[in-house]
Amino acid sequence: MMRMKIIKESNKENITGYLFVAPQILLFLIFLVYPIIEGIRLSLFQINYQDEIFVGLDNYRKLFSDPVFIQSTINTVIFVVFIVALTVVFAMFVSAAVFDKNAKYVSFIRGAYYIPVMVSMVVMSMIWSFLLNPANGLIPFVARELEVASVNFLGDTRLVLPVIIFVTFATNVGQAIILYIASMIGVPKELFEAAEVDGASRMKVIFKIIIPMVKPTTIYIIIMNIIAVLKIFVVIQLLTGGGPNNASTTLMYYLYNNAFKYNQLGIASAVGVIMFLITLLLSIPQLRIMFKKD
Amino acid sequence: MFKKRFLTMGLAAGLVLSALAGCTEKESGQSDVESDSGKAVELRVWLTPQWKGVLDGSEEGADYDSFFKHAAERFEKEYKDHKVNVNVEVVAGDQRDELLNVNLNGGTPPDVFFESVFAMGDYAHRGALVPLNDIVDDAAKKDISQNYWDNVTFGDDIYFYPFSHNPGTLAYNAEMFKAAGLEKYIGGEEEIKTWTLAEYEEILNGLKENLPKETYSNAYPMGLFALNNQGDTWNLAYLRMFGNQFFDNNGQLIVNDANGVKAANWMKGIYDAGLTNPGAESVSSNDVNAMFQNQQLAISFTNAILYSNAMADMESGKAPKFDMRLANIPSESGDPLSFTYVTGANVFDTKDETRIKVSKDFVKFISTDPELVKASKNGVPVRTSVAEEFSAEKPFFAAYSANDPYVFNFTGNVPGYSQLRQVLYPELQALYTGAKTAEEVVESYQTKGNKVIEEAKANSVIYK
Repeated sequence: MMRMKIIKESNKENITGYLFVAPQILLFLIFLVYPIIEGIRLSLFQINYQDEIFVGLDNYRKLFSDPVFIQSTINTVIFVVFIVALTVVFAMFVSAAVFDKNAKYVSFIRGAYYIPVMVSMVVMSMIWSFLLNPANGLIPFVARELEVASVNFLGDTRLVLPVIIFVTFATNVGQAIILYIASMIGVPKELFEAAEVDGASRMKVIFKIIIPMVKPTTIYIIIMNIIAVLKIFVVIQLLTGGGPNNASTTLMYYLYNNAFKYNQLGIASAVGVIMFLITLLLSIPQLRIMFKKD
Repeated sequence: MFKKRFLTMGLAAGLVLSALAGCTEKESGQSDVESDSGKAVELRVWLTPQWKGVLDGSEEGADYDSFFKHAAERFEKEYKDHKVNVNVEVVAGDQRDELLNVNLNGGTPPDVFFESVFAMGDYAHRGALVPLNDIVDDAAKKDISQNYWDNVTFGDDIYFYPFSHNPGTLAYNAEMFKAAGLEKYIGGEEEIKTWTLAEYEEILNGLKENLPKETYSNAYPMGLFALNNQGDTWNLAYLRMFGNQFFDNNGQLIVNDANGVKAANWMKGIYDAGLTNPGAESVSSNDVNAMFQNQQLAISFTNAILYSNAMADMESGKAPKFDMRLANIPSESGDPLSFTYVTGANVFDTKDETRIKVSKDFVKFISTDPELVKASKNGVPVRTSVAEEFSAEKPFFAAYSANDPYVFNFTGNVPGYSQLRQVLYPELQALYTGAKTAEEVVESYQTKGNKVIEEAKANSVIYK
């Protein structure tokens, strides 16, 4: 009887809590869970303006037999690996070099690297397009004026991926630098003092103290960047249009083309589901490491 | 305490229900407005950039939406059945399909779209447009010749009200020709010059060798582009240069034959020889057009409306002035290659009878009003009456008519044409970058293109 009463009381207490989170849960269900379920549903249909026909896994079969989809997946993996690796290594290098210097200097470095993050990716892509356009871009123009052999950075299948990797990396790295500097500033001073007393070199300090101490930040940067790079789109749309010959098409651009250019909503939803699964698979182990209690 | 919680829950539920009820009320309210013939109707009219000004690009403040804003203003005043508010929006040509697909799938299509028929035919196949048979009368049928009606008829129904047509040709800078010592190839000011393919190659080589660098630095003989599907009609024309028929009688692509391969090889050949702008694989038709207007190209693509806009830009000082003339796309046989876009307005199936009715009335208004149809002179009028009225002022009308026997149907009237356009440019990119040979390009384009056509046929409401 007593136990029943306690449970009842506890339920009453919980109801208040649930009521408080209810609006958030409702928004979460409507704007996050429902679109995911609807995306999965749509991926099983062939859709045109007038009706929807159930086709089962046909859209997925079509995808895996489409060389452009395979190419986009490979390109996306290349982007993820290189952009994330470059971002982490470069941001770590810059932050470790400056975090313990004069505050004004640190602020300047932070500001300088953060400016491109504040500028819209659309604007950055347009500027790069103005620089690289083979017909009337600034760099090919100067090259021609100087009678130097001009290279089409956006039209060469071997160069287009490195160019996009560089543009995206250069635009986004500021975010990681800010996070690393903040994290490094937060490392207990005693550790550095102890290292100094022991006569440890700068490299030893970086590898034995800084890198292990900022591990949670590294994991966070890796997860966030993987998710961001998986969705890379604007720079592709504005700089290369996925070309030449689909050499720079990514999963997101492939999805966009199918959804909005070819009106293949079923196929586009199937790509969306695959991207969702990839992100989930990549994020789960990372999150488990992050939340694991040492 | 418990009562209080129930009260809170009740309030929360009430809030959610009232929000939902609000949505429902709005929807039913809207439908009430629309079913009431006396109430306001909002129309969304979209167009891609066509001509500037109401009737002429030289008008003060002339812009791409001037004509439709003027027509909308008159329609709002003169229309009796409803109080109408027409919102005009110019949509970039390369964003048309994206915007339309987003709006169609979200259930918010525009009411009226004015565009080239070839780019919009798929929407008729997909069941997104309503037939316009009921607003076409005998007077219009008499004034507009049958071939234009054929162009806008899908299955048994008319889906676009033809307004003007827009023949595609080449444009060349006669001053650059003179500077390169190519005077003998310059045609008359009101002529569409026809060169043989051998002459054309001579012109390209002459421009490359002899164009004075000090006057025309950083200039190239001819514009070539393959970044996206824009301006692909010229690329399609170049692929026909050696006599390829492109489509068979069943509407299947037959570009993969000796003539098709020869044409693809020719395109690759002039590109490799430096007779075109560099980087064609990552250059858009807009880039090429801008280069031509900046005298960085001697020969480029144009159509009647682009030509008239370029002339207006030169007159108004927006672009450098030069002697721009027209030429046909050459072919091996010596016959010119000619095509035209029929432009006109269509009405989307918004599932709202009142809006559809008012939209149709608006389309009829702009397509039949004696003053408004005069704007078709910016392209080439489909109405005989308008063409005759302006023939003295627009000598090119006669030159375009002379090309009529050579006009080829570049769409082949196949379903899925919009998606077919998306298949071509990656193949051209592969050609220019050397990733594929000419043989591989035409083979791949044909295989992929025919797959698109087959699938679109299966999904077309017109083929049902």
